[in-house]
Amino acid sequence: MVALTEMTNLAVDLIDVRKTYAKNIHALRGVNIQVGRGEIFGLLGPNGAGKTTLVKIMMTVVKPTRAMGTIMGRPIGHRGKLAKTGYLPENHRFPGYLTGLQLLDYYAALAKVPRAARRASAPKLLDQLGLSKWGETRIDKYSKGMMQRLGIAQALMNDPELIVLDEPTDGLDPVGRRDVRQLLLELRRAGKTVFLNSHLLSELEMVCDRVAILVDGLVARQGTLSELTEHTVEYRITFSGDAQPIRSKLAALRATVDGDLVVLSGHDPAKVNAVIDLLRGQGLLIESVQPHRFSLEDILVEAMGGTAPQPQSRERQRADKAS
Amino acid sequence: MMQFWALIVDSFRESRDRKIFWVMLVLSVLVAAVMFCFSFEQGKVNVLFGMWVIETDYFTGITGIKTDVIAALVVDGIMDTALGGMGVLLSIIATASFFPTFLDRGAIDVVLCKPMPRWKLFLGRYVGGMVFMGVQATIFVVLTFLVVGLRWGVWLPGYLLAIPLVVLLFSYLYCISALVAVVTRSTVAAVLLTMLAWMAFTGVQSVDDLFTSKYPKWQENKLVYEGVHAARWIVPKTQDIIYLAKKWSRAANASVLVHADNDDDREMVDWATKVEIARREMNPLAIIGSSLLFEAAIVLAAMWKFSRRDY
Ligand SMILES: Nc1ncnc2c1ncn2[C@@H]1O[C@H](COP(=O)(O)OP(=O)(O)OP(=O)(O)O)[C@@H](O)[C@H]1O
Ligand SMILES: [Mg+2]
Repeated sequence: MVALTEMTNLAVDLIDVRKTYAKNIHALRGVNIQVGRGEIFGLLGPNGAGKTTLVKIMMTVVKPTRAMGTIMGRPIGHRGKLAKTGYLPENHRFPGYLTGLQLLDYYAALAKVPRAARRASAPKLLDQLGLSKWGETRIDKYSKGMMQRLGIAQALMNDPELIVLDEPTDGLDPVGRRDVRQLLLELRRAGKTVFLNSHLLSELEMVCDRVAILVDGLVARQGTLSELTEHTVEYRITFSGDAQPIRSKLAALRATVDGDLVVLSGHDPAKVNAVIDLLRGQGLLIESVQPHRFSLEDILVEAMGGTAPQPQSRERQRADKAS
Repeated sequence: MMQFWALIVDSFRESRDRKIFWVMLVLSVLVAAVMFCFSFEQGKVNVLFGMWVIETDYFTGITGIKTDVIAALVVDGIMDTALGGMGVLLSIIATASFFPTFLDRGAIDVVLCKPMPRWKLFLGRYVGGMVFMGVQATIFVVLTFLVVGLRWGVWLPGYLLAIPLVVLLFSYLYCISALVAVVTRSTVAAVLLTMLAWMAFTGVQSVDDLFTSKYPKWQENKLVYEGVHAARWIVPKTQDIIYLAKKWSRAANASVLVHADNDDDREMVDWATKVEIARREMNPLAIIGSSLLFEAAIVLAAMWKFSRRDY
């Protein structure tokens, strides 16, 4: 985090972005996000968190109530820089009367791409996204996934430095998702910056260098994946026997007992050993020791509502079985 | 310029995709074909190349037949009903969805994120709508112009001016359609309110004409008269511009018409060229200029709304 703010070369540097829609809907309440050049950045958050609103503000589709910071070194809302950004909106609907190639050409012309460059890159992108056979077909004959691929192709027509994708894998089959992931990695290799919104957490985990979690219009967490998941590790120790007598001693080590499960949070092997010693000293039989690293999903759920990721309680499991 | 051109080409592709575009084309060809079936000879109207000959002395004067007068009459009718009426009406219906589809959620985002100011986007789309009318008007006018010239032997170069004039007339109404669409995003609202506005404009002009020509007595009610008269200067002159087109169509062969040398013909010419006195005295620049001012105001309002709103 510190290292990042020191970077002079931020692709996206959002400071205190706020948006209040009509009727006092506070979609964004002071968002700060930094994205370095050449990284894949993932924006995560529940429905209605304001992800799309933030992206639309970046792309000048929505006017922020208040916003500071820069995008590609220019203030937010600067249109000139948009020539070098690509954007895939959420739930896009393209005019059905165009063919795939016509659509790419049209949008690229609006982005001031010279004709020769448009002619050259349109078939190449269609090919890259597995649409090479569909270039001459009218868009209203496309399936949902094909539309999505075309949308991504469209975002890349102007050879952008910054690519902003709102739910890029929406509607894609597993192969399509993999293709998109590979495309994103390829873009990163080419030195491009990618900013993406996604619901599919596992996808973000696979490609993103850094993520931010947006909840209710505020950034709840931001950092590299390992930064976010590092301090959120716990050990789960199961045993058989009665741990009642040493309960207070375990509590002193910040370990919680739940039936025949001891949960110890934090990444501290010495402490784990201390707990094991304690249990063994009581003559209990250790059945398993499992380190458990939180997934992005756990972190998201935690950030969303304070419902910290709980190991499922043994009591409840029993109750479930009984019923 | 490349961006502007792309917007216009896209608008044209969109209109080409509409059924109504082709319906209008077919209608144009049909009208021209029907006109082609008629020819005029001394004392006869020849329909369908001699299949049906109507004997009449209606078009015969001392100097023989006056196809010029017939042509003038036909152009008169065309301006009122086919071009200035149906043509504009159908074009308004066809283009009413131009802005609503443009502003569709998911469609507008991709366009707004392009490196161009929003007013330019709006203008590109706006001009794109006028291309629809322009194409239709050109096809219709050129076809009928050729029929009148080749078949009836009357060349009316002034008639070609009807193309820009009809596009202008269309644009007076299209600006309202665009404004309503930008505000409401609804095609139905755009059509209905544009029709209403058209009726209101026509009403103002007609009532003012009546005041001036037929019922000068009404002028005694100063307040109403002045009010209507003032309103006439504000609203786009949808009627007057049609009369202007008629006048200019005939201007080219006015000399022929003026040469009508018997009373029957003169009466006919009078009838054919009958316009209200006020209209005869109208100043084309004032008519077009004041209407354009109105249009500019509406376009600016629509542009402003288009630029300010969130999508
Ligand atoms: N045009 C608009 N007018 C009014 N309110 C809006 C508008 N667009 C979004 N909102 C509100 O702003 C909030 C954030 O919406 P946004 O679409 O940014 O969420 P999101 O994080 O993208 O959600 P999702 O994951 O469902 O796509 C929501 O409460 C929504 O109702
Ligand atoms: Mg969204």
